[in-house]
Amino acid sequence: MKRKLAGNAFLKSKLFWAIVAEFLILLVGFILRPDFLSIQLRTLADGTRVLYGTPIDIFNRSAEITLIAMGMTLVIALGGTDISVGALVAVAGAIALKFLRWDVLIYNTPGDYTVKPYFYAIAVPLIVCALMGLFNGSLIAKLKIQPIIATLILMVGGRGIAQIITNGKQFTTQYSPFKFIGNGSILGIPFPIIITLVVVVAVMVFVRKTSFGMFVESVGINPSASRLSGLKSGTIIMIVYTLTGFLSGISGLIYSSRISSNDSNNAGLGYEMDAILAVVIGGTSMTGGKFSLFGTVVGSLIIRTITTLVMYFGVVSEAIMAFKALIIAVVIVLQSEPVRNAIAKRRERRHLNIGGEMHA
Amino acid sequence: MNDIILEMKGMEIAFPGVKALDKVDFTLLKGEVHALLGENGAGKSTLIKCLTGVHRMDAGTILLEAKPIRPSNTQEAQRLGISTVYQEVNLCPNLTVAENIFIGRQPMKRGRIDWKTMNKRASELMGLMGMDVDVTRTLGTCSIAIQQMASIARAVDVNAKVLILDEPTSSLDENEVQHLFRVMNDLKQRGLGIVFITHFLDQVFAISDRLTVLRNGKLVGQFETSKINKLELVTSMIGKDINVIYSLKKAQPKEDAPQVLEVDNIGIPAKVEDISFDVKKGELVGFAGLLGSGRTETAEMLFGVTHPTKGEITVHGKRVQLKAPLDAILQKMAFCPEDRKRDGIIGDLSVRENITLAVQATRGFLHPMKRKEQEELADKYIRILSISTPDAEKRVGELSGGNQQKVILARWLATQPDLLILDEPTRGIDVGAKAEIQRLMLEMCEEGKSVIFISSELDEIIRCSNRIIVMRDMSKAAELDGDTQQAEILKIIASEDEKEVSA
Repeated sequence: MKRKLAGNAFLKSKLFWAIVAEFLILLVGFILRPDFLSIQLRTLADGTRVLYGTPIDIFNRSAEITLIAMGMTLVIALGGTDISVGALVAVAGAIALKFLRWDVLIYNTPGDYTVKPYFYAIAVPLIVCALMGLFNGSLIAKLKIQPIIATLILMVGGRGIAQIITNGKQFTTQYSPFKFIGNGSILGIPFPIIITLVVVVAVMVFVRKTSFGMFVESVGINPSASRLSGLKSGTIIMIVYTLTGFLSGISGLIYSSRISSNDSNNAGLGYEMDAILAVVIGGTSMTGGKFSLFGTVVGSLIIRTITTLVMYFGVVSEAIMAFKALIIAVVIVLQSEPVRNAIAKRRERRHLNIGGEMHA
Repeated sequence: MNDIILEMKGMEIAFPGVKALDKVDFTLLKGEVHALLGENGAGKSTLIKCLTGVHRMDAGTILLEAKPIRPSNTQEAQRLGISTVYQEVNLCPNLTVAENIFIGRQPMKRGRIDWKTMNKRASELMGLMGMDVDVTRTLGTCSIAIQQMASIARAVDVNAKVLILDEPTSSLDENEVQHLFRVMNDLKQRGLGIVFITHFLDQVFAISDRLTVLRNGKLVGQFETSKINKLELVTSMIGKDINVIYSLKKAQPKEDAPQVLEVDNIGIPAKVEDISFDVKKGELVGFAGLLGSGRTETAEMLFGVTHPTKGEITVHGKRVQLKAPLDAILQKMAFCPEDRKRDGIIGDLSVRENITLAVQATRGFLHPMKRKEQEELADKYIRILSISTPDAEKRVGELSGGNQQKVILARWLATQPDLLILDEPTRGIDVGAKAEIQRLMLEMCEEGKSVIFISSELDEIIRCSNRIIVMRDMSKAAELDGDTQQAEILKIIASEDEKEVSA
């Protein structure tokens, strides 16, 4: 009895319908082109062997959004939003490339002179992005500025900062350790997937094995009661925004590594909305409170699957956005409360009928 | 002519695991105030929610003026003439009084809202309620009493036949309650049937004509108010002998017990004035006074919610600076706030999480309690406080008010405090739970803990306190012995501000 009820609760949950939606989209792809779901092991020119196929591609390419969306889940659970993440992706790329191509600035003749500051090219962007996250968090926690306004500052300013860092130039690099971040693979698994897995597990462990997750939910549900119960909501808010900034930094490194370049105008463009969408599809409410990191991963995969599907079937690039919007609209309708309840009720009724027949 | 306006017969409704209503009958006459009574979870709210279309009943019929109805939502119920004013004023605090009264049915003129007519009619309606207010004021800036009247004005104006008042008096002071009663009598004269839900038994006797008592989802009986006395009523509500409740004995702190808390002249200018008092180990100090007399403000200063700009707080002989509630918790203090919905419960979290929250807060999130530890702690307090919940994983928001209050108490007891500050812990909960909380406070004192007990109900203050501090106009008016008579306290509360007199 109890298990049946729990099962029913899951059936009514948004996460369940997100998973259903993901499988439906994959199924549509499979029906249209059976090779949509095939995975092969290919050998590249340099002899490395890499897993290849659309499912792998979906996992690989969803890395940037999944990483950011981990942080965004906590931000939204606190009842906030962070719209600066896309700009931070651009900042991370700009700083990384600045360090990788300091030769351009020092030597007059062109060429890949030195890549000695590789450590800095990784560490500095992450630190700067984390500090920018802390800046967001401080505005929100200390000055009580509304999150969307507070993060708007860096959303607008971030790309400008990225431009200033590189003097408005676009650098490229062929330094292979850097290119490995976005393009390399270990045991055939693309490196971005590995980074994502490590980060997702790390965040999940941090949030659920400590009491941090409960504190975030508590502050998100009832800030006043949380404070009276002794929670330091300011600290919690600053940690969450700092983490989100840091994760945007990782995302930015992957992005710039993929294109071996920095692109202050287009890097991470629209990521904030994709990340928010991933969180919401994953079942976390925009009003804050209870959250699901696993749901967010599913949400991010859905967004990437849609994009892949639309591109795979050669929809003209102008129409991609419209198609994407259409499918997302279907997913969200499927998840809406009246629809979920209606379906759960029908199933309940069917169960009752079956039960009745068995007794008869 | 006393004719039946509303009749409910054989009402039944079941929620997972409980029968919330079991063959309940209810009749409401035209022009009467009918009190609906019962402990928390007795089924009062469920019955009302069936009537207003929030819940679907499993069986039963509702007859409104002899015609069967089955409203499927509140709007439909309202169209049929059944209006409800809920305990928590559910209006929009950022709109004006007039807008709130007319929201959704604003008078229109040429496709636009006719502000002039709207404000004029709103003024008239509030005037009928005996309220002379500027209806263009934002509702949030008005007192709770005005907000309440606005929601009644709104409810009554939609040609209501039946008016349901769900705990309308729980946040009103004595004068405001009297005012509400005048309005209720007035509406009664106009032929409305009023269903009045309350926990204040005195008010039941003051205003109602008849009353219906529910217990555990079943009908206990329907009585003429004039033919039942308080003792019989309480006994029928809780189903056990009332004398158990009144046999509480005061705490007996030792003569030479050490001071737990010394407060010397603390205050915030223009808010609370110099407050001084002390609390001994094992002592229960009561705070009496009207709402807004500075009781809650004092408690908030003691708990680091607000910060006194002068004076000293000494805990266990050590002077302390309380920057945040956490500092107070670390000094072994605990604070159950007045507004448990806003400042107390974390509705979407489970009973277990709510109970362990404060303990966890003192440990910091990096040192989590083991799941098993949490479960033991939660189960322990569910048992001690007899919190009625199927299990510790239930969402707190789904429990009844009294049980929510017990969960908050459990959260604080779990921190093993030396000093417990309770701000109106018994408001809005039933007689049975009230007695349990009073008994619990006294038991704590016996165990050598100290309690500061804030309440608007003088009889419970007198019943429990060793000493009573009376607050008036944001300062301490008097400190009295625990054996003081009610009349004496009332005299102090009601007397004029001394400073004004001497000026």
